[in-house]
Amino acid sequence: MLTAIAAHFVLAAVLPLIARRWGRGAFVVGAVAPALTLVLAVSHADDALAARHPTETLAWAPGIGLEFTARFDELALLMILLVSGIGALVLCYYACYAKPGDRAVGRDSALLVLFAGSMLGLVLADDVISLYIFWELTTVCSFLLVGGDGLTKKLRKSATQALLVTSLGGLSMLLGLILLASASGTTRISEILADPPGGGVVPIAVVLILLGAFTKSAQVPFHPWLPGAMVAPTPVSAYLHAAAMVKAGVYLVARFAPAFSDLPAWWVPIVVLGLWTMVLGGFRALRQHDLKTLLAYGTISQLGFLMVLVGAGTWITALADVTLVLAHGLFKSALFLTVGIIDKRTGTRDIRELSGLGSRWPVLTAFATLAVLSMAGVPPLLGFVGKEAAIEGLLTGDPKDLALLAGVMLGSVFTVAYSLRFLVGAFGTRPTVAPTKAPPSGVAMTTMVGIPAVASLVLAFAPWIVEPVLAGYADTYPLPAPDYHLALWHGLTLPLLISAVIIAAGYAMYRASLAPKLAGWIPERMSAQNGYRAAVMGLDRGALSITGRLQAGSLPTYLGIILVTMVVLPGAGLLAGGPLSPTELRAWDSWMQLPLAVLVLAAAGTVVLARRRLTAVLLTGVVGYGIGALFIVDGGADLALAQFLVESLTLVVFVFVIRRFPPRFVDARPYFRRARWVKAGIAAVAGTFVAVLAVLYSGSRDGLPEASRFYIENAESATGASNVVNAIIVDFRAFDTIGEIAVLAVAATGAASLILARARQRPPSLAALDETDGTDETDGERTEVKR
Amino acid sequence: MTVLVALPVLLPLFAAALSLIAGRSPRVQRLLGVGVLTAIAAIAVVLLLETDRNGPVVLQFGGYAAPFGITLVADRLSALLLLVSALVTLAVLIFSIGQRITDYGRQTASTAFHPMYLMLCAGVSLAYLTGDLFNLFVAFEIMLASSYVLITRRTTAARVRASMTYVIVSLTSSLLFITMIALVYAATGTVNLAALPAKIAELDAGVQSSLALFMVVVFGIKAALVPMHFWLPDSYPTAPAPITAVFAGLLTKVGVYALIRTQTLVFIHDASWTVLLVIAMLTMIIGVLGAIAQNDLNRMLSFLLVSHIGYMLFGLALFTVLGLAGVILYVVHHITVQAALFLTSGIITRHTGTVSLQAMSGVAKAYPLVAVLFALPALSLAGIPPFSGFVAKIALLQAGAAVGTPVAYAVTAAAVVTSLLTLFAVTKIWVGAFWGKVAEPHADPDPTDEVTVGTGSTSKGMLVATGGLVAVSVLIAVFAGPLAAMSERAAADLLDGGAYQTAVLGADGGGR
Repeated sequence: MLTAIAAHFVLAAVLPLIARRWGRGAFVVGAVAPALTLVLAVSHADDALAARHPTETLAWAPGIGLEFTARFDELALLMILLVSGIGALVLCYYACYAKPGDRAVGRDSALLVLFAGSMLGLVLADDVISLYIFWELTTVCSFLLVGGDGLTKKLRKSATQALLVTSLGGLSMLLGLILLASASGTTRISEILADPPGGGVVPIAVVLILLGAFTKSAQVPFHPWLPGAMVAPTPVSAYLHAAAMVKAGVYLVARFAPAFSDLPAWWVPIVVLGLWTMVLGGFRALRQHDLKTLLAYGTISQLGFLMVLVGAGTWITALADVTLVLAHGLFKSALFLTVGIIDKRTGTRDIRELSGLGSRWPVLTAFATLAVLSMAGVPPLLGFVGKEAAIEGLLTGDPKDLALLAGVMLGSVFTVAYSLRFLVGAFGTRPTVAPTKAPPSGVAMTTMVGIPAVASLVLAFAPWIVEPVLAGYADTYPLPAPDYHLALWHGLTLPLLISAVIIAAGYAMYRASLAPKLAGWIPERMSAQNGYRAAVMGLDRGALSITGRLQAGSLPTYLGIILVTMVVLPGAGLLAGGPLSPTELRAWDSWMQLPLAVLVLAAAGTVVLARRRLTAVLLTGVVGYGIGALFIVDGGADLALAQFLVESLTLVVFVFVIRRFPPRFVDARPYFRRARWVKAGIAAVAGTFVAVLAVLYSGSRDGLPEASRFYIENAESATGASNVVNAIIVDFRAFDTIGEIAVLAVAATGAASLILARARQRPPSLAALDETDGTDETDGERTEVKR
Repeated sequence: MTVLVALPVLLPLFAAALSLIAGRSPRVQRLLGVGVLTAIAAIAVVLLLETDRNGPVVLQFGGYAAPFGITLVADRLSALLLLVSALVTLAVLIFSIGQRITDYGRQTASTAFHPMYLMLCAGVSLAYLTGDLFNLFVAFEIMLASSYVLITRRTTAARVRASMTYVIVSLTSSLLFITMIALVYAATGTVNLAALPAKIAELDAGVQSSLALFMVVVFGIKAALVPMHFWLPDSYPTAPAPITAVFAGLLTKVGVYALIRTQTLVFIHDASWTVLLVIAMLTMIIGVLGAIAQNDLNRMLSFLLVSHIGYMLFGLALFTVLGLAGVILYVVHHITVQAALFLTSGIITRHTGTVSLQAMSGVAKAYPLVAVLFALPALSLAGIPPFSGFVAKIALLQAGAAVGTPVAYAVTAAAVVTSLLTLFAVTKIWVGAFWGKVAEPHADPDPTDEVTVGTGSTSKGMLVATGGLVAVSVLIAVFAGPLAAMSERAAADLLDGGAYQTAVLGADGGGR
């Protein structure tokens, strides 16, 4: 199984090269992979049906739960029939549909085969992570196939919407699956289903998973991406947006339903949104003039129907559900392919411009009629068989099921009406419209339509061909199987009567053209498409406003925030840690420290008040000398010497540099404005905080650190230096010194290259820089830069 | 074997000196640069295999036993990051040579690019390998000093202004770093990373957690955690693409590495970690919202960078083996992918002559190869399977779910939302720049700077370097199995700490 998936991917990788050689033939080559898969799946059907369920695993990164596990069971087999069968059909069809010499063939064929492989992986996946991987791959394929070359705005918008909406669901599904796996202790779906976890986060997890299913299967209110995606080439729509990808949501729900069908967090959202989707989709379909969009809304409606049936959670509804999944795949692909022929041959798919195609293309019309009747649930077609089962399944007498039945009937009436609208619209003759000129529909393409259409007919008469597969899925529910079989004729039963009523009412609705009259029902403002637009715009605006507010562009603000964080975070840690052990505090070791400390603090305080550059530099010097003097008081004469030397040198250099600057800082406004107070406050608090930390931390240690002791004891013997500081710098920790020398070298090189760059070209003067600074900053503060 | 630990630092240091001397010969400079970085990558492979098999490799400088001298230590984490960094710096160097920014100023003998770049690499290597807090400060200084030179090579008003934001914020972080070292020494009497845990454990709970959070602030500035990130999007995007690539891809990760190293080796897990989870959440969300608001390609990528630093803090704050393994995977993935994206942005800008998303169009049609070079890392960044970002993200999400506290759930959910918004942002780039009609290249807005843009063409070196990085990111995904296993072993080492301490201090726990 994994080999089959991999084969798709490998083939997809070489298709662009094949397309360069053989042009449209690449599609036929691409069809080989799904066709072979179909043959293999059917020939091994016994494995799935006899409950052997072969499983294959490929480890990727098992430590973090990444592995590919494929499991072949009844539901997987059914989905493969659709995914690979219709996949091969659509690829062959595309070979006739594409224009000769079309440059997009390489890309589209590769993406379609990639998609077929991903879909195959999705329906076979037996662990939650592989499920998500393939799920997201189908989303990306859909984005690229819908967007094509992205030449028009409409293409770009539709592709983006499809991507974002389905990714929203996909990611929430991922979170849900991870929560579910975490709650059950395994990532294997079969194991989760065999022993479903309960309580705790499980309801949240299933709702998150459902979100994924709803977005992928275009349920209200996420559905608008699907009609939008109809800008894609028609074969793409037939495959992705009718037969395969949009079924992924239904598949997901069907996969997990046997375990969670009793959980209200599971079935309530499914049946409520499903019914809503079924009715709304059918209603919208009645108002479309574009055949393809009409089918898209029809698909939305049918997907809602399928959701409701899974949500109902009985054995017969489960059987009805998978029957209709198959039926829908067959008739909807046939109809999309029909629209493709109409569009390609006549250049339009607008109902108002088409006339007389029925008599021109009788064979195609016959096939399309079969498909439409199956869609409307008219005997003797597979759609009818499925719908009979659905009605039977909902006729339990339970009020909930009766309510569901009422909703399903309403939706089905719409379905009958839009089916007729499609059939008559596409093939009928309008007296007011000139007969559409069209070349023959083409034998090959018509055959492609015929295969699924005829299958709908054959399977209706011989449901036993597929019934083991379908009933096999229904048997996975923890419910006793009733004595019910799929059949065209169950006798004169209530479901048959209801079917008849639906068909009659649908015909009446179509004749009365009720829909346009009801068009004012739903206010435009409430439409889901506006919801999407508002969400995206709100996100854009919100992001802009938040970022605009935070990203002030002012260096002083950034520094202030950093200092505040430096106080708040460790401060909170200090307070949260409980009482500290007492520290012995001494005010000073020597009385000389007091005047020196006052001097240093006073100088540091006044430096921010200085208006002249020279004053500021001199005051900074005072701070440095003061600290040097403190070293002397502590007995570190050599350290003090170094400090004095550095201070003096810096001062001299500064004085030389400052001669070139204006004497005063540019800011001539009054000093004590609010912003300045805030800054002074932050600086004072940050400084005090560090001082407090220093006192507290020094108190936590007793005596001389062992490293200090080691240095003092060994300096002379090990290094020959009588000065411990020297010994540390040039021997014990010489590697630090190498590093610092490297830093100096870098700084010197940098300065040199700046000067050389200046020599080469006239630099912007510093005064000009100052001015840009002053005007750019919102609060009028200036950034002083000293280097 | 122990000498190998010093070589990734000493080789580029000496090569930088030689390169400075050989300033007149571009060919010698190039050979030195490429040769040394290739050698570091090779050494990193050897170190990685050795540490994985036999435990940490330790070098005591000058023969003074820890904790008295300076110790260099290579363990699984540092060897792995050394390897990834060497590959990225190598690719960026080849790109820079291809883009010819290395030759900027050559006519005036300002040949500082190669020596400064090698210095930067020496600083990065030292930061990974040092086992000493003060030496880590020296590593940061080397790294930052050379980065100051690299970012200020062109002196227009806008560039100087943007680089001043960078320089001043970095100096502030250095100031806080040295303050923190003083505090650590005051409290414990040692700066040796292996000796610290025992000393720290004796301190009061309040002192311990305030020290831990002080370190978060110090390294958080470099790593650009919210709310200490503002400087990054304001300064990085103005530099040429390869400089931004190495700053954004690498220097922030050195901050993250320092966070991981200090927090796991030195501090125990306690209630303050909730604070870190909240910071992680804020970083993710505020960063990605910032990205959505941008129209400038490089600024958008810078905000995305900030956002994804949040993922790394998330895994660290969970403080479980799976969480830390996720962080290591994420760091490895993100260094590669973020650098690749900035390089691709450099190629795009070279073609189109603009960084404005609104001003570019149809890049995919005009240059299909560039589209592939962008799409793969962009999908990876957004965490789309089966790329490297997905692998790392899955590990983090599972770790978050496994911890299972309300805050952990909230951050896990935030990580998922960030993932979606990241996809939204990169889709914006794709739709805006790559789709649509092919646009004529814009004229170079500043013909005298080191980057020539708007040529409608690219150089082979740029493509090879970017392609190489993209290939590395794909390989990370392909070999996710062994890599994840290695990350898990590294994470277990970090949480346990025993192997590291024994390797450095000896089995009896220290002394001579």
